Amino acid sequence: MIIRRLGGLVVATLALAACAPSTAQPADTGDAKTGTLRVWLFDEAGRAPKEALVNEAVAEFRAAHKDVSVDVSYLATDAAARAAKFKGAFNDPASAPDVTEFGSTDLAGYVAAGGMADITKDIDGWSEKGDVPADMMKTVTVGDKAYGLPWWVGVRALYYRTDLFSSLGLAAPTSYAELVEAAKRIRAAQPELVGITVGGQYVFGALPFVWDAGGDLATRSGATYTATVNTAASKAGVKAYTDLFAPEICPAQQCVDLTGGKTVSTFAAGTAGMGIIGNFNRSAIDAGPVKGKYAVVPLPGAKPGTIAPAFAGGNNLGVMKATKHRTLAVQFAQLLASKKYQLKLYDALGNLPTMTSARAEVVAKDPFLKPFMDTIAAGTRFVPADPAWTTIDSQKIVINMLQKIITGKATVDQATEEANTLMNNAFAGK
Amino acid sequence: MRGGRNGHGRLMPLWLLLPTLAVLVPLFAYPLYQLGLLSTLEFGQPQVSGGVPARFLGAGNYTTLLTDGEFWTVLAQTVGFAAACVVATLAVGAALAVLLTRVDRVPRLLLSFAALAAWAAPAMTGSVVWMFLFDTNLGLVNEVLGLSGYNWLYDRDVAFLLIGAVVVWHSFPFVMVTLYAGIQAVPKPVLEAAELDGAGPWVAWRRVIVPILRPILAIVVIQSIIWDFKVFTQVYVMTGGGGIAGQNMVLNVYAYQKAFASSQYGLGSAIGVVTTAILVVVTLFYLRALRRTGEAL
Amino acid sequence: MTRRWLPNTAAALAALVTVFPIYWMVLSALKPTGEIESSRPRPWTWHPTLEHFRHALGVSGFGRYFLNSAVVALCVVALSALIAFLAAVALTKFRFRFRTTILVLFLIAQMVPVEALTIPLFFEMRDLGRVVPGVGLNTLVSLVLVQLAFSLPFAIWMLRGFVAAVPDELEEAALIDGASRGTVLWRILFPLVAPGLAATSVFSFITAWNDFIFAKTFIISATQNQTLPAALLVFFKPDENDWGGIMAASTLMTFPVLVFFVFVQRRLVSGLGGAVKD
Repeated sequence: MIIRRLGGLVVATLALAACAPSTAQPADTGDAKTGTLRVWLFDEAGRAPKEALVNEAVAEFRAAHKDVSVDVSYLATDAAARAAKFKGAFNDPASAPDVTEFGSTDLAGYVAAGGMADITKDIDGWSEKGDVPADMMKTVTVGDKAYGLPWWVGVRALYYRTDLFSSLGLAAPTSYAELVEAAKRIRAAQPELVGITVGGQYVFGALPFVWDAGGDLATRSGATYTATVNTAASKAGVKAYTDLFAPEICPAQQCVDLTGGKTVSTFAAGTAGMGIIGNFNRSAIDAGPVKGKYAVVPLPGAKPGTIAPAFAGGNNLGVMKATKHRTLAVQFAQLLASKKYQLKLYDALGNLPTMTSARAEVVAKDPFLKPFMDTIAAGTRFVPADPAWTTIDSQKIVINMLQKIITGKATVDQATEEANTLMNNAFAGK
Repeated sequence: MRGGRNGHGRLMPLWLLLPTLAVLVPLFAYPLYQLGLLSTLEFGQPQVSGGVPARFLGAGNYTTLLTDGEFWTVLAQTVGFAAACVVATLAVGAALAVLLTRVDRVPRLLLSFAALAAWAAPAMTGSVVWMFLFDTNLGLVNEVLGLSGYNWLYDRDVAFLLIGAVVVWHSFPFVMVTLYAGIQAVPKPVLEAAELDGAGPWVAWRRVIVPILRPILAIVVIQSIIWDFKVFTQVYVMTGGGGIAGQNMVLNVYAYQKAFASSQYGLGSAIGVVTTAILVVVTLFYLRALRRTGEAL
Repeated sequence: MTRRWLPNTAAALAALVTVFPIYWMVLSALKPTGEIESSRPRPWTWHPTLEHFRHALGVSGFGRYFLNSAVVALCVVALSALIAFLAAVALTKFRFRFRTTILVLFLIAQMVPVEALTIPLFFEMRDLGRVVPGVGLNTLVSLVLVQLAFSLPFAIWMLRGFVAAVPDELEEAALIDGASRGTVLWRILFPLVAPGLAATSVFSFITAWNDFIFAKTFIISATQNQTLPAALLVFFKPDENDWGGIMAASTLMTFPVLVFFVFVQRRLVSGLGGAVKD
């Protein structure tokens, strides 16, 4: 009796609430000139130097804005946890920071989620705008609006062990064929090493081979992307990369589940002859036993003397749409993204500046950067700037494709065809 | 305290259940209802925060899911894996519970403590430690077995075996401690009588202990089914989200990868509803089987 | 005694295998980094160091996260024990319509994948926070509330057996002696069910202590309200996991649960045994 009545009550309550979860209300954005500015930055393996330069910027900012305090939080490097943070900030504007650092591949998704503020006009009025190269501006632009300031950029090139190369009488490879040859010679001479460390989960290591072969993951026509990973050119690139997972180069058992980060630690530990590694990984390499025993050249393309196009990754600084301190947020982002702090960031972490003049300065200072600059000069590429990239990335479509080929579960034709369909589904929003 | 003597007594169970309802209705029933609702919508990040209106899809998410060949592979894999884990957990737990009743104090304390330690280890840390032990290059196991460079996650079945071992390691203590407690509670005279009748240990276990333990076994089995079918952390952590080319995908990881990581909440909700439905069906079958053998809830 | 050597050895062996991963965790936490990353691992170390523990504890706010986790877990344990006790009494000592239905509903509630409910709960907490400050997102209260909701169905389900094990005659005698229902409930039933409460609290404690998904989803901007699992994440790096840090933090995370277990262990065993007499 009682329970039945109660059951009725429950049903009634549910009926009353019969509507979808309320979506985030448009944040009542404001432009307060005082208060606390909340800033999210990415944590780093060695955070201290980054923290020091950020604290310096905060001090400079507060000297100009007496009634403002700046609260900086560092987000965990774990990608899933970081994604959860951003989703939380989009879904609950009250929890959103004012300024945030973000990876350039995530921008399209963040904009679709309505999380980022359009700061095109603010950039137009920025004194340092002229120093930002056009290709860098592209990485912060969705449609024709800019949503961030390019902060730093990273590219990968071929690290190789000079000690091994000279003892075997090898020269730095200038073509894919030479790279394969060198890798085989190294492993034949020292079977406990892999010739080149590559990873089945290392998408940014695989893409240069696809681009070099004239292929791409997807091409854009108008506002939409179409997957092109099943084209002959793309397949040739995929084959070139997955062919490296051969017993005489980098055995599938050992290499199929390596991530980009793992290939870095493999090379750093001295168990690989070569590796496709970023300029930003230099300190990690130098912390290990191979310090002083390696050199860097651009990753060679199939045609002798060419450079395989590299992925131009990097992080930007943006203003969240939900900010209640829009002007201050833009000013702080501009300060942190200024040439002065880009140079300090390079000194702290080795992250390449995005500004033309800043980049020229560090390159002049440090010859180590030359192969990376050559790579950039040869032209860099990017993943599809579409919200669907988040889906492609989190569903591991490209990784599964590579791993199926590497483990022999599928041929190049089968795996690329399957990935192509899945990517098109993602672009169609399915 | 049997109710029904007066009006006040009739209301008693309601008063006693009231705090539970106050917690569960808003924090469980209502979100659950929302889950059902979400499963009929196209509801992703642009809908949640981007101001894009949610589109009603009806059974659209369910069609997407049920026509996805991968879903069925994952489902079959999950059922097989969960079943193996349940059987192994029960076998190990029951065997060690019986063993506990036959050993001296020191070994008993040792085993109890070890089991409690395994039980206490959070799923994430436990998985990480096992993963480290079985690491391709730095792992102790490869070093001891002389399998340098052997990747335990390379072969689908070997990987499942390893993950299954971790799941069993985490969950057998519950079974062991519960069954041991149950055996301890079996009245001594009953056991002595069985022994006088010349029943060996196996017969005593089958004829005397198992029937008495049946209600507790029922709970243990149901819980194991629920936990193992919903396994997430061990698989996610150890295989980096589903294994090489997704070969070790189980339902919950699939839901996470397919839907939640890419913010397709509508589809994710549909997977959640399907998971729940499957578990309900399995458990109801089990309950019916129990009832047939004379055990009710 | 001699005829027991076989089971004794078997038990000791089982204990060894079971505890080994835990031993390895503690050992790795104490090894210097060079030894952890050696390709020739040894099951001992001659150079134990506390550097990883110092590092783990030095991570800004680790102590605070520890405290947060403890507060959440203990609140959940206390509240869920209390509420589940009342519900279990209702479901075992009374016969009423829909009793079995309610029981089955509690069982079904355990089958819903938690991950799927995070999104509706997220919105609920957000909206709640707008109405009642102090309980919405970014607060420990929000974590206590959802953990409570997720631990209750199982706690009630477990407690049923313990309550049923208390003979009805006891309560009836007390009622005849003129005791009020409240007295019967708190003075007679509650103490007798206490071992069972200890057993169920173990589960509530673990659920709350290990929770990662809600902590990750709900605590967005208020970093001071993070819980331990979030702190553990700091040691997982994309390029190279800090194994020493991970192991030290894992040890710190496992230890309180183990202490809690050992603390309630005797009651756990006698309690779980009590459920059989049903």
